[in-house]
Amino acid sequence: MAMGLGGMEQTLAAETQRAKSVLFVFLWGAPSHLDTCDPKPDAPAEYRGPFCSINTRTPGVHFTELLPKLAQRSDKYTLIRSHKTTAPGHPDAGTVALTGFEEKPQPVQPNFGSIVSRHRGQSGYLPSFFSIARGTVMDGARRIEGYGGGTLGSAHDPFLVGASERGEVEIPALRLMDGLVPGRVNDRRALLKQLDIVPRTLENARLSEWHRAYQAAYDLLLDPRARNAFDLTRETATTRQRYGQSVFGQSALLARRLVEAHVPYIQLNYSRHVEAITPGFEFGWDTHIYNFDLLQDLHCPILDRAFSALLDDLDERGLLDDTLVVCMGEFGRTPKINARAARDHWPPCYFSMWSGAGITPGRVIGESDRLGEHPLSDPITPKMVGTTIAELAGINTQARAEMNVLDGGSVIEGLI
Amino acid sequence: MHHARPHWLPGGASSAPQPSRRLSPPAVVFAAMLLVVWSGTKSVVAGEPRRLTSDGRIKFTPVFLDADSVAYVDFEKPELTVIKRLKLSDGVVTPLHAKADTQELEPAFFSGGDRCVFLRARGTLSVGMVIRDETSGKDIEVPPENGFCGFRCPTFSRDGKRVVFSYAAGGFQDLYSVNSADGKDRRKLTKNNGVNNWPDFSPDGKQIVFGSTRHGNFELYMMRADGSDVRRLTDNPFQDLRPRFSPDGRQIAFTSTRDGNHEIYVMQADGSRVRRITRHSERDDYAAWHPDGKRLAVISERNGSHDLYLLEINADTRSTAAQTTP
Repeated sequence: MAMGLGGMEQTLAAETQRAKSVLFVFLWGAPSHLDTCDPKPDAPAEYRGPFCSINTRTPGVHFTELLPKLAQRSDKYTLIRSHKTTAPGHPDAGTVALTGFEEKPQPVQPNFGSIVSRHRGQSGYLPSFFSIARGTVMDGARRIEGYGGGTLGSAHDPFLVGASERGEVEIPALRLMDGLVPGRVNDRRALLKQLDIVPRTLENARLSEWHRAYQAAYDLLLDPRARNAFDLTRETATTRQRYGQSVFGQSALLARRLVEAHVPYIQLNYSRHVEAITPGFEFGWDTHIYNFDLLQDLHCPILDRAFSALLDDLDERGLLDDTLVVCMGEFGRTPKINARAARDHWPPCYFSMWSGAGITPGRVIGESDRLGEHPLSDPITPKMVGTTIAELAGINTQARAEMNVLDGGSVIEGLI
Repeated sequence: MHHARPHWLPGGASSAPQPSRRLSPPAVVFAAMLLVVWSGTKSVVAGEPRRLTSDGRIKFTPVFLDADSVAYVDFEKPELTVIKRLKLSDGVVTPLHAKADTQELEPAFFSGGDRCVFLRARGTLSVGMVIRDETSGKDIEVPPENGFCGFRCPTFSRDGKRVVFSYAAGGFQDLYSVNSADGKDRRKLTKNNGVNNWPDFSPDGKQIVFGSTRHGNFELYMMRADGSDVRRLTDNPFQDLRPRFSPDGRQIAFTSTRDGNHEIYVMQADGSRVRRITRHSERDDYAAWHPDGKRLAVISERNGSHDLYLLEINADTRSTAAQTTP
């Protein structure tokens, strides 16, 4: 249920910002809600899927057996099972999920992270909005419009940084320079020489955009504090193992280091691409085929380990009190199993997990119907997600109005 | 059939299953029977496993080509899975298909590796099946239908004349076979009943063991090579996955989550005498019999990394098992 403008938002606005950092975990491609956090064990066979339901630590709440560690940690977050969005395809739905608004009509609205970035400004040595992936998140060859600053301008685009499964951090803006990784940037002259060479290899149309990105990367890498933030080798082996040897696992560890470095907004992407099995693309959550195989063998074990480790690590370091963690995809997947014995897109119902920043954990907000097709209670919209994030980050109604963002948004009442 | 589904304590620690919902009296009896069965499940140590890889990357589906070579799928890059071949005698790992530039998955072999069938990503969510003569390099590609579509788990019949695979259509995923010589003459072996997967032929070629969700969750079944005479081998509320016949055909290795997480088990070919092989809080999966019938290659997750291990199996399988704690 939502509370209108002027109600809860103003109450919260009187408080100090609860979330010094926001960590938005984006399950790009969209996981099945029935096969993860909203199982329907009593649904007909053509809906329920093959996975067993298990208890969570929250009485009466069950997950599928694919997320045992997260089930054991349900007292660390609040689960929402009644999300609803509008767009049926990934690029549009991705933009809605990250901005709260459709891509059209233009102009494209800013990413939630860009709003936080604009509000906070860059006060430290790091940019105020990071997106962690091995490049801009894509659907096929198309970049989603809501990835960046939108109406707030490209100055509030995210700074892109990625990690390998071995924890080697890379900056896509510098990818054209072979061998240039943060740990090796010690020689300013050598770096400048390389940076001078790169523009000759770029098309003119992209030169300006790339120049801005590499300039930011260049400035950043010359700062030893920034290099330190990116250096996962400073973590103990035990900590790195805890997150798992996967791109997402080590990226989650990088995200935690950025929280420690006081970055206001971090978008941690599960994958760069949505597609599950496609030449040249990473394995995203878009499981139109092989849904049950991929969830059991790849995606859920990786997510379960890494996201559980992230919650534990933030909690143990005392960071969860003033860090907001949100985990969700851009929509759900069809409750009814498709012709390929998998699941397609399903905008009318999906889930999210919220933790930290004063959110009371261990609860469930909203409920889906017996087949997981629609919310039974008032649906939670992407704009409500953005408004709640903004509010917890200390961006009140007036501040949002001054930026002309999230117009008409309301907070998720039961969450705060 | 839909079980009252028990749960197990999350977090990797094995525990006796408990109901996730209030049990009806018959379910209580069923749970008690399960406990009796589990208490009779043997689990003994049989020597240290041998670690075959050390890169820690995610891996899938090992399969032996011969006594000295095992192939497996390596998640070499986030966007690239590569079939690799590892020689046990010297530990050297080489890509099976040096020129592969797209995801390749789930290899199976005939005649010591002279012929290979595998899956290859060919477009957006489109996965074809390739039958390759590894000597000549000649391919027979069996394309999926248009749109999002793909094959799963191909394997050769014991005489090499047919390839059996899993394929989804009409809401079900059934087992089919085609001629290995030309990829044609497709025959359906299972009948529109849930998801059917992981076919494996008995050494005499007369039987196929496979997994199926026809009764709710993944269980293991056996049928004749022509798809007739289906018999159920396992029956519990957890996942039973990836069955593989032993070289002598008397036993079946498989993966199950029945004791808390993915572990390796061995049972007799009729489904009796289930023995637990691995015991670890992290995942053990993808069992493959060594040709000598005394060892299993498995993919084990340890400290968040995934590697290939070789486990010793006692000759007397009444006291089989290995402790996988490298």
